[in-house]
Amino acid sequence: MGSLFMVSTAEAVKLRKVAKRYADIVAVDYVDLDVKYGEIFGLLGPNGSGKSTALKIILGLVKPDSGSVSVLGIKAEDDPISVKRQVGYVPESPRIYEFLTGLEYLDFVGDIYGLDASEKKARIEEYLEAMELEGREGDMISSYSQGMKQKIALISAFMHKPKLLLLDEPLSGLDPRSARIVKDLLRKLATQGVTTIMSTHILEIAQAMSDRIAIMYEGRLLALGTMKELSQKARLPESDLEDIFLKLTRTEDIREVVEALLK
Amino acid sequence: MNWRNVFRLISVEIKAGRLVRGQRLRRYRERKIFQYLLYGGACLLGLAIGIGAGSFYTGVSDPDLKVLFDEGALSLFLSIPTLVLIFSLVFTMMRQIQRMGVRASLQPPYWLPITWEEHTLASTLANLIGTPLAFLILLISAITTVSIYLEQIPLATITILALLASAFLASTTTEIFRILQVRLTGAVYKSTGKAAVWVRFLGSMLFLIVFYVVWFAFTSGTGSIALIEAVAGAQNAVWFLPYVWLGMSVAAFMSGLLAQTVVFSLASLLFVLVLFYVAVKLNARFGLYEPPAITISRGVYAPKVGFLGKLGFSSLEAAVIKKDFKAFTRRRELMYIFITPLVFILMPLMQYLGASGGYFSSGGSRFLFAWILLVPGSIMVFMLGLMIIGEEGESVWLFFSSPITARSLVKCKYAFVTIFSFVVMLFCGVVGILLARPSLDIVIALLIESILLIFALGAVSLGAGIKGADFTEVPRPRMVRPLTVLVYGLLCFVLALAIFSPLLLHAVTMRYIPISIYLPKIDLYVAVSISAVVALVVTFVFHKIALRNAEEFLTKAEI
Repeated sequence: MGSLFMVSTAEAVKLRKVAKRYADIVAVDYVDLDVKYGEIFGLLGPNGSGKSTALKIILGLVKPDSGSVSVLGIKAEDDPISVKRQVGYVPESPRIYEFLTGLEYLDFVGDIYGLDASEKKARIEEYLEAMELEGREGDMISSYSQGMKQKIALISAFMHKPKLLLLDEPLSGLDPRSARIVKDLLRKLATQGVTTIMSTHILEIAQAMSDRIAIMYEGRLLALGTMKELSQKARLPESDLEDIFLKLTRTEDIREVVEALLK
Repeated sequence: MNWRNVFRLISVEIKAGRLVRGQRLRRYRERKIFQYLLYGGACLLGLAIGIGAGSFYTGVSDPDLKVLFDEGALSLFLSIPTLVLIFSLVFTMMRQIQRMGVRASLQPPYWLPITWEEHTLASTLANLIGTPLAFLILLISAITTVSIYLEQIPLATITILALLASAFLASTTTEIFRILQVRLTGAVYKSTGKAAVWVRFLGSMLFLIVFYVVWFAFTSGTGSIALIEAVAGAQNAVWFLPYVWLGMSVAAFMSGLLAQTVVFSLASLLFVLVLFYVAVKLNARFGLYEPPAITISRGVYAPKVGFLGKLGFSSLEAAVIKKDFKAFTRRRELMYIFITPLVFILMPLMQYLGASGGYFSSGGSRFLFAWILLVPGSIMVFMLGLMIIGEEGESVWLFFSSPITARSLVKCKYAFVTIFSFVVMLFCGVVGILLARPSLDIVIALLIESILLIFALGAVSLGAGIKGADFTEVPRPRMVRPLTVLVYGLLCFVLALAIFSPLLLHAVTMRYIPISIYLPKIDLYVAVSISAVVALVVTFVFHKIALRNAEEFLTKAEI
């Protein structure tokens, strides 16, 4: 769906005709996308629809086969270091150094982003307390649960105060309290002009948090807009995002599938 | 026991071991022909050895020589079960050492309907797949063929059965050792608390050192024929040890003692079953054991203003160096690298001690010192350079997503690689001085030479390590592609030779190396100066290549 792009003067992220293939698999299929400053942008789609690849393209972790990418007004390929300095990234199931303690890892990341000692100390302590990791920060990460590792990855994305957050399934494995903290934090950061692009499978979260939502399917941008715009497009007024998502991705044959499984 | 389950589990383990080849594997394709090539080759080699030995035997007309050959063959048959036991024990233990860094368990998921007996049997048999199995096939093929010429087919049959049982016995012992080791180390970490990292580090080092000392003691000096004779003689003396009963049953059969053959065979079978039962019970008891969390620090967090900053490293570079240091002292699969210098000290030393009875000639002492000072540091810098990027594993996304430049990456990684190797080189130098007591001139010249080698080989291997990095972590961190190791191993060897050649020429002209070529004498320090020029050129060129590779690595990051 190449025609789905907005014209705006304040885009934090701008993709133009971006395409990426892996051998015979089309990961991203000529996508145009604009994300505004201070926006929380939800990226939805079934497994393998190209969400994670799109996030990696924005950060420069994956080079597109064609098209252009502009991040925070910078062409990512021209000055990748400047882009990376201003972006916080959490990959899907992040692998972090398990031989370090949580504290050592955050200290390491703080140094990577050039935080000064006092600032680093203050932020690490605040986040550890907020995420209820106090008391375990001196343990090796290898002994952490998946949720604790996710918390560490999230803290490391937030602690250098980035202008753009690229979060791939950010709430995966988090306990309800920490998930709520992250959600509130993202909303607060949005009011301060921080842009968030978040890929998720949890449609309730996307619906509750996102200013706008894009639905990807087989590498294409199937639909983009606010909840209201999406429900109009799907011709499902008053429906929730789940129904809209299933209809737009033509995967609403749930009942038949369940019945077949029960045979 | 469901044998289908056992075979499926073995096949999973075999595939898991092979799966890690190839960088971006999307599908697992297996070529059966390559899978069995090793075993087919071993079988053919065994056949060739058997035919060769058999033809020699039939061609011998001297009756004394024929008797000698008969005795030798029988001595080999007699000792083979125990030799196979030792070999299999060492090899399966080595495999366990290599698996120290395995991230994903190769063991089947515990929630599947698989019994502990099936699981333990599959694990025990899978331990023997690969080199041990190829070795067994080679022996079986050779023994069978030679026995036809010697007309000893019944003896060969019983030897082969004993040989197979020995391999299984060894593998079961290793399985027991593995389970106990996991349980024991977990208990030790729990009780040592904060010091657990160092306990783990020193414990692993100690284990590796003891293992290698035993290995070198076995393999150096005596020679294989002496070893066979020693084993054949020794197993009679220690007949009460169940591990030699298989060898004893072969010995009894050879002497025509049928009752003893039956007793030792049955006793061996019983021992194998008991050992397997113990392994199953231990697996059921401790197989799911999770080692406790290791706590490194407690108390108030105070960021340190680093010493590295004073040396001119940025906070980013210093952070990477510190992180790498922690990686090499805490990650089990990387701790292995610390053993390298010790192996390269132990190896020549034990050879020398074996050959010379502890006496060093002046030439020998010079050679020993040169070896100990130059080789461990050079090997260390080569290995570190190759693996320093790949050791990031799947956590490399952090490098790709963070504001690290190619220059910074090369600077901090090169610094780590060289500093680490300098420390090793100095340690080895001190050991070398104490052992070989070389002259001051030799010490200075070789010290400069080893510094030059570390700088040059560090630049070469780092460039290669960036280019050939392999971030695969499952089932074991691979770190660098095997082809890169091979190609750059050869290149480093050639470059090291080029750097060292002026000093070699000096040694030849000074008659330290007894070669009858007349050349004008080259002064030691002139030779060192020429070496320095060669090394600096190599360092400069390959540092540039490393930088270019790092730029490409960061810009073409695809994760």
